Amino acid sequence: MEKPEKLIIDGKRLDGRLPDELRPLKIQAGVLKRADGSAYVELGENKVLAAVYGPREMHPRHLQQPDTAVLRCRYNMAPFSVEERKRPGPDRRSVEISKVTREAIEPVVFLELYPRSAIDVFIEILQADAGTRTTGITAASVALADAGVPMRDLVSAVAVGKVDETIVLDLNKQEDNWGTSDMPIALMPRKKLITLLQMDGHFTPEEFKQALALAFKGCEQIYEAQKQALRERYSIKSEGE
Amino acid sequence: MYEIVSKVKRDYIVDLARQEKRIDARVLDQYREVSIETGLVKPAQGSALVKLGSTQVLAGVKIERAEPYPDTPNSGVLMVNAELLPLASPTFEPGRPDENAIELARVVDRGVRESGAIDLDKLAIKPGEEVWAVFVDIHMLDHDGNLIDASALAAIAALWHMKMEGIEDWTLPEFPILKKPIAVTIAKINGKLMVDPCLDEENVMDARITITTTEDGSICAMQKGGIGYFTPEELEAAYEMARSRAVELRKHVG
Amino acid sequence: MIHVQNRELVVPGQLIAEGGYSIREGAFREGDRIYASVVGLTDLHGQDIRIIPLQGRYIPKRGDAVIGVVIDTHYSGWILDLNSPYVGNLFVSDLLQRKVDLLREDISMYLGMGDVVMAKVKDVNELMRVQLEASEAGMGKVTGGKLVELVPTKIPRVIGKKGSMIAAIQNASGCRIKVGQNGRIMIWGDDPRMVNAVVEALLMIEREAHTSGLTDRVRLTLEKIKSEGGT
Repeated sequence: MEKPEKLIIDGKRLDGRLPDELRPLKIQAGVLKRADGSAYVELGENKVLAAVYGPREMHPRHLQQPDTAVLRCRYNMAPFSVEERKRPGPDRRSVEISKVTREAIEPVVFLELYPRSAIDVFIEILQADAGTRTTGITAASVALADAGVPMRDLVSAVAVGKVDETIVLDLNKQEDNWGTSDMPIALMPRKKLITLLQMDGHFTPEEFKQALALAFKGCEQIYEAQKQALRERYSIKSEGE
Repeated sequence: MYEIVSKVKRDYIVDLARQEKRIDARVLDQYREVSIETGLVKPAQGSALVKLGSTQVLAGVKIERAEPYPDTPNSGVLMVNAELLPLASPTFEPGRPDENAIELARVVDRGVRESGAIDLDKLAIKPGEEVWAVFVDIHMLDHDGNLIDASALAAIAALWHMKMEGIEDWTLPEFPILKKPIAVTIAKINGKLMVDPCLDEENVMDARITITTTEDGSICAMQKGGIGYFTPEELEAAYEMARSRAVELRKHVG
Repeated sequence: MIHVQNRELVVPGQLIAEGGYSIREGAFREGDRIYASVVGLTDLHGQDIRIIPLQGRYIPKRGDAVIGVVIDTHYSGWILDLNSPYVGNLFVSDLLQRKVDLLREDISMYLGMGDVVMAKVKDVNELMRVQLEASEAGMGKVTGGKLVELVPTKIPRVIGKKGSMIAAIQNASGCRIKVGQNGRIMIWGDDPRMVNAVVEALLMIEREAHTSGLTDRVRLTLEKIKSEGGT
């Protein structure tokens, strides 16, 4: 892939979007039979599957916490999810993403209700198209609710960045590769509390504020889609049907 | 982690078997509902999602340039890898493939390789130096029994729907796939043979036999699993079941 | 001030009410506001707010009747799987209601791996260590029959008000049924068709737990199947 000369032409991004538009989003809850909770999310060409097992018995026992559940997250990319085949198994990037994902979700879960147990979250990237870690968090959050794990709120996540001096929402692959800044964010939308924040690139303090505001807008839309997916999963047929 | 099967459930399934009945009301030689969707993963040259009852398996095939094996300098390379993803079952743990994942991958590999399904000789780029390597990665997504058959089906369906556009230096008109080997797994419970064991049946069965056949009924791979045993008569009966079920399953590959 | 209807489907983080209501289940308080913590149906009575979860694991409570499966043995008893993040411990003295001389008796003659046991939760401590007892009549090892697992949150509906639903099922099907709070249900019957009919009825209850007139629909469905049985 060669660097395009311009990433924004006449106010429109290369994929036709305006700077504050999300890619097409689809969320389904309860897609797996074995897992206690699950969710499937498509954002642009991202295809992400999340599953939750738990609360369940925690092994190895010496890692059990006497007064709280332990939340464990595993982010994994399928070898066929990217252009150049990725060797199976965790690499350093996956390990870091697993950690920040866990830290993005932990604040909302009522872990203290399940001492000595484990809540396991598995995120599989089936097809990657920039923004997999935030899509993973969005999916994991729905999967946790689908599993009946008590939470203070859902967690919604999206990436914002700067390309051609413009702050944009939900970077696509070219923008991720050739843009100036990339900032994934996760929120507890109800109280606008930020549980994941990473950034690489360059922002002035002003640009950062702008980017944050744009991320909040994006997360609100994602939040609505998450809630809708859960409602649809358990949609009640009218009485007497 | 273990799968707990209560004695009550075990006795129930074993007793049903005696009457040639199954826990989900199927007959002995009946598969669960099969569906195959191909082409859903764009970065992969071929992909297929197989649903076998509630079991779900996703296979992705990617082509890369590689060095040939020293003893076959003019042939392409086939590598099959299977991941028993922890999200598919409470009994799967994260980490390197364990013996079950490796056995599954090798059984699927044998079916594809020994049948000559892929014309590997057409996959040389620079004989002796560079060939095309075919990577088949199989991911279990939801384990409700019979991952082997679902995986083999996903692999062959993906290989039959390869899109080679965008691969630099790919000169062949299409991907050289010739045959449709189909794996059929048969479980033995209380002396009865039944195809496509669901999860409950797998947890109770004495043993299983997987038989992979090609279009003309010849066998290209077999694998017995579990700690029980089969008599020669049972194997003959199993072959018949496998051959006839394979004909039906093959239609789904498209 | 209540912000939702009764029997409304809510999601985690959704505002339920403001004010001094009493939270029974499925919700939490932040200052003056009460929010849902699970996906569930609201159940509002006077000052009580309850969100009935539509999913969730079973958490053992003292006094619950449970159906466990033996997964381990130790010197003086057994460990039972309870379809829960927490296993239950059953001492042999809580099974037999008498002191056992462990040097003389081999307790494996009473229970073995995989055995299904009707029990009661005797105690749960802060570390979630669960003690079971199984000495009352009708408890202990079960044999024969069919074991079914439902989402534990639907069990109250399977039992019904004052046991009305379970009575309706037993009468209409001629089968005997024992229900565990942990989502497990044992069914015994002479006619395998009726046993399967009961399974269907239970799955129907699981799907339609929130609707009204369910008890009658279940009874009618079972009676119809029974009358189709022929001679």
